[in-house]
Amino acid sequence: MCDLGVSAGYGSGPSANLIDELLAEQRTLTAVERFSQWHDGGHASNRYSHLMPTGLPGKGEQYGFEVDLDCCTGCKACVSACHSLNGLDDDEAWRDVGLLLGGRGAEAYQQTVTTACHHCADPACLNGCPVGAYEKEADTGVVRHLDDQCIGCGYCVLKCPYDVPKYNPKLGIVRKCDMCVGRLRDGEAPACVQACPTSAISIRMVRLENLNFTAGTTMLPGAYDSSYTRPSTRYVTAKGMPSNTRPADANVMRLEHAHWPLIGMLVLTQMSVGMFAVLAALMLLGQAVAAPATAYGATALLVAGLGMSVLHLGRPLGAWRFFLGLRTSWMSREILAFSLLAGCAMLACGAVQLDRLVVPMTLLTALLGLAAVFTSAMIYVDTRRPFWEGELTHVKFFGSTLVLGLTAAAALTPGVALIGAALVARCVLIGWEQARNRQAYDDDECAWQPSARVLKLRLKWVREAREAVFMVTFVLSVLAMAGLAVVWCTMAVLIIAVIAQVLERYTFFVASMGLRMAGGYKS
Amino acid sequence: MIPDLTQQTGPLTERLVREPGAFGLGQVPSRLKPDATAHLVCGFCATGCSLTAHLREGEAINLSPNGNYPVNLAMACPKGWEALTPLDALDRGTAPLLNGEPVDWAVAADTFVGRMKAIIAEHGPEAVAVLSTGQIVTEEMAFLGAFAKFGMRLRHIDSNTRQCMATAAVAYKQSFGFDAPPYSYADFEQSDVLVFVGSNPCIAHPIMWQRVMMNSRSPTIIVVDPRRTETAMAATHHFAIQPKSDLVLLYGLAHLLIQRGAVDEAFIQASTSGYEELAMFLTAFDPARVSRATGLSVERLEGFADMIGSGKCVSFWWTMGVNQGHESTRTAQAIINLALMTGNIGKPGTGANSITGQCNAMGSRLFGNATNLLGGHDPGNDAHRAKVAAVLGIDAALIDRELGLAYDQIIEGIAAGRIKALWVLATNPSHSWIDSEACNRALEKLEFLVVQDMYPTTDTARRAHLYLPAAGWGEKDGTFINAERRIGLVKKVRRAPGLALSDFNILRLLAHVWGCDEMFQAWTSPEAVFEILKQLTRGQPCDITGIEGYEMIERERGIQWPLPKSDRVELKTERRLFEDGRFYHPDGRAKFLFDEPRALPEPADDAFPFVLLTGRGSSAQWHTNTRTAKSEVLRMLYPQQCYVEVHPDDASSLRLADRARVSVASRRACVEATVVITACVQRGQVYMPMHYEEVNRLTFAAFDPHSRQPSYKACAVRIGEAKR
Repeated sequence: MCDLGVSAGYGSGPSANLIDELLAEQRTLTAVERFSQWHDGGHASNRYSHLMPTGLPGKGEQYGFEVDLDCCTGCKACVSACHSLNGLDDDEAWRDVGLLLGGRGAEAYQQTVTTACHHCADPACLNGCPVGAYEKEADTGVVRHLDDQCIGCGYCVLKCPYDVPKYNPKLGIVRKCDMCVGRLRDGEAPACVQACPTSAISIRMVRLENLNFTAGTTMLPGAYDSSYTRPSTRYVTAKGMPSNTRPADANVMRLEHAHWPLIGMLVLTQMSVGMFAVLAALMLLGQAVAAPATAYGATALLVAGLGMSVLHLGRPLGAWRFFLGLRTSWMSREILAFSLLAGCAMLACGAVQLDRLVVPMTLLTALLGLAAVFTSAMIYVDTRRPFWEGELTHVKFFGSTLVLGLTAAAALTPGVALIGAALVARCVLIGWEQARNRQAYDDDECAWQPSARVLKLRLKWVREAREAVFMVTFVLSVLAMAGLAVVWCTMAVLIIAVIAQVLERYTFFVASMGLRMAGGYKS
Repeated sequence: MIPDLTQQTGPLTERLVREPGAFGLGQVPSRLKPDATAHLVCGFCATGCSLTAHLREGEAINLSPNGNYPVNLAMACPKGWEALTPLDALDRGTAPLLNGEPVDWAVAADTFVGRMKAIIAEHGPEAVAVLSTGQIVTEEMAFLGAFAKFGMRLRHIDSNTRQCMATAAVAYKQSFGFDAPPYSYADFEQSDVLVFVGSNPCIAHPIMWQRVMMNSRSPTIIVVDPRRTETAMAATHHFAIQPKSDLVLLYGLAHLLIQRGAVDEAFIQASTSGYEELAMFLTAFDPARVSRATGLSVERLEGFADMIGSGKCVSFWWTMGVNQGHESTRTAQAIINLALMTGNIGKPGTGANSITGQCNAMGSRLFGNATNLLGGHDPGNDAHRAKVAAVLGIDAALIDRELGLAYDQIIEGIAAGRIKALWVLATNPSHSWIDSEACNRALEKLEFLVVQDMYPTTDTARRAHLYLPAAGWGEKDGTFINAERRIGLVKKVRRAPGLALSDFNILRLLAHVWGCDEMFQAWTSPEAVFEILKQLTRGQPCDITGIEGYEMIERERGIQWPLPKSDRVELKTERRLFEDGRFYHPDGRAKFLFDEPRALPEPADDAFPFVLLTGRGSSAQWHTNTRTAKSEVLRMLYPQQCYVEVHPDDASSLRLADRARVSVASRRACVEATVVITACVQRGQVYMPMHYEEVNRLTFAAFDPHSRQPSYKACAVRIGEAKR
């Protein structure tokens, strides 16, 4: 019988033996020897046979996901199953579940949306990849990512309008959904199809001719125009959708990745090109120039900028394959342009050193440099992010080039005209930018209004910092033009102007609001 | 050597290679290929899905749903898929902690016994209470209940199942004569009309919803819920009633059914009692009154009644929207009344069916030794006490005739200083208890708080004087009982970290140190205890003496109670109760029970103009998020910050922007949340998920008088600008 006496004394004292026995018992695993003999049934793949086509796609066909929205009720098992059955990293899943909201009163509407790679007929990821790390399987149409070919540049992450490829910082590469194509070839259902308790996800045969969407067609509210990449996923519902349906995260002001190596690369290379361009222009105009300082300095900046761009790559050793993407990828073209530019800039330095062919070499470098800046801009324009549309991006990139080129020239060969020109250029550029931002913020029709909201409401500090910085350069430039501490003032203006462009480029990335499928309450 | 222009393979590609996994698994990641498998029932909700652990050298390395189990048919929700992940959390308890400092088990056990005995010596056994859980295996619950009551001689033991299904248990017991959910999941597939009241299975019980979707009769699916939930969206009819007007609605429907003659007179005559009184009572619930209370038009009410009246097989299902109300027992019984009066019980596709919450809430109801005597016995019944004493080999005098305090009364006793010591197992009252700030003020007063849990980091464990590290699900053996009364196995497929011990082993140790070796000499393993539990059920409605042991449960893919010894030959996989029209009251009849509805305890008013509804946020979150927050995949599936859903009209009149941070204040606390604007909540109502610790600081502590279940579902709040 128990010691029921409620004495204040301690119990009988645990026997060390019992504790050891319990700990040993806790460490013994017995499930296998006791129970595993009862389980040897085959995989019940016929359970999913109605969710998969029989056989491989024929000519003019490919596999595609079909999602029956009327069956998708938000359990999100597909996400976990994809993670577990594909052995992904802890925080990695190739499916995501978003949410659409809409309606009013008794017709209030919410609909969860499961989404993965759409295995597009014209994949933006594949077209953007500089090294051919994507392939579209000829027979199945599955867009596969070749993990060992990937250099981790992350351009496909920017290119995909559905935010599908995800960068894995631990591995230094991108990974993405392959529709479990190995399972499909074995007659098994993909992980997500297997896992859906309500059979909302299936694999269907898709006729490629049905993927020739007219402009303006979207898979779902909030999704990007299907005529761009021609996604093969089909969302079906018999219930229809209220006209005011929108993604649940439509008003979320997301801050995107800053990509500091790219900020550094863009600012430094554009400054370098600007210096060559202003040098060439001054030479052509017959002005006095500090040719050696400008050429050596600009080349050093160029090399530093290109060095920074390498820091952006997860696996830079494979970057030599960049030429594989030249046909479709602006990233490949940019690498080519800057490689040529680097060579040309060094030759220009040699020309300056030898004082032979200085003007033609400087002019050639400047022209090649402007072409390289153009490829830089096109990298972003080609992502179709509204904030990175052509006019904005080109004006910003060539504006930086001009502003930094003039400001550098003003520091290296100080003169009232150059200092003044640089000041006016900075003033015009920031004035133009702020006017465009204000306009976009007020214009509900403007495609990049969400970015303008981010700039105004979440990145206010950057705007204020840039205004303050501009005022400082204004005062210093005026002092320099008045002849006060000219060298110190112009050098200070140059350093501050570089910082201002770094801030501008920070907002360029952070406020870019990437394209994606509807998200949920999270984010 | 020149590298290939295109590298189709290599070390990175190999990381994701899949190959046939054998054991019926289909393809699995090659680096996670198992050498054996074992099935075990999931440790989250009461659906009771079987999960297949992929084993290597006996240890689980991956997991997928069991394709050969009658409950889940190869499916699992995200929590089930991620069930192993919380075991690997970095903050697992690996040693007992005394005032935050690691100690060995000898010191921990001595401290436990010494402090408890000292407090009992000074203040009596009523000064110590236990809060148990629906999350541990039945054998552990029984051990805990027996040790606490018969060994330690405590009076007050309750469990977190008070928060989830006390109402269903009391309602069934009063109506049927025993706490007996009558259904099997096959009923989801066999109904013509399914009525879900305060239930959102699409995200709370997705695998049950799977069965609804497998119903091939194109059923009418009716959802009664103030919100337009995922389930309301998927239903054929949604009745968005005013908060807590469910009881009036159900009485109104009963009234309309009687008016229409859509009742089963023969069944009422043969199998029920109290019908005349009910019919008389219901005359007061004319459609006009019901329409005013619920916000539904008379036409819609009539349409609702017609759907029930004309259905051949109508099943009624309820969850926390009913159970967690201020008059919840009568509400559950109003649902039971509808099933009884229309004869929709004991037949395929029918029933008044409570969808239970926790994985082993049903085990706790029968074997927790808290709200009844082990095995669903009545402690006030001399024969029951003698029977239990005989099976356990103890003196019947050790068994109190009366039950101890309920959860809320324990917290109140602590606040009043009458209860000095509390032992909490696998639950988190600091977060989950209603009006949690008041609860936490009470916990601060305890002289001795012992928390036994997988993690020393829960809101409650951080307050503990003594923390005991427990092994988790998957690190121990035992049984769970699911919502359809199916007993399933949990197996040890992982080693517990450090010094962590299963609750069973901790109880063996504490019982030994307490001096109860003789009392528990037969309680050597979970399976040995299962034998004792079987004997306890002999002759009870939940008789399971026909189960041979764990091997038989494994072989039969779970076994529903009852299974008396004589029934062994006709064991069917899915069985429902009351097919013979006989209930468990001495007269064999089910009772119609009812009461006049009462107003909301804390209605909205000018100062606090919104009704706050609470509930499940997503299928990736479980209760206080203790375990589900450990999985990065699950964390990707829900917002990390607390949020509040607000109707667009209310948002515009308050000038709230979507995703703005706001303050939500009740008379008890003020918390911050992110606004989500959605028409899925009604005007004047807001919704917050319970998984965020903030939410229960707002809730109003009202209780159902019969079940003493807290009324989490409605309190008054106001919304304002966030402080900054």
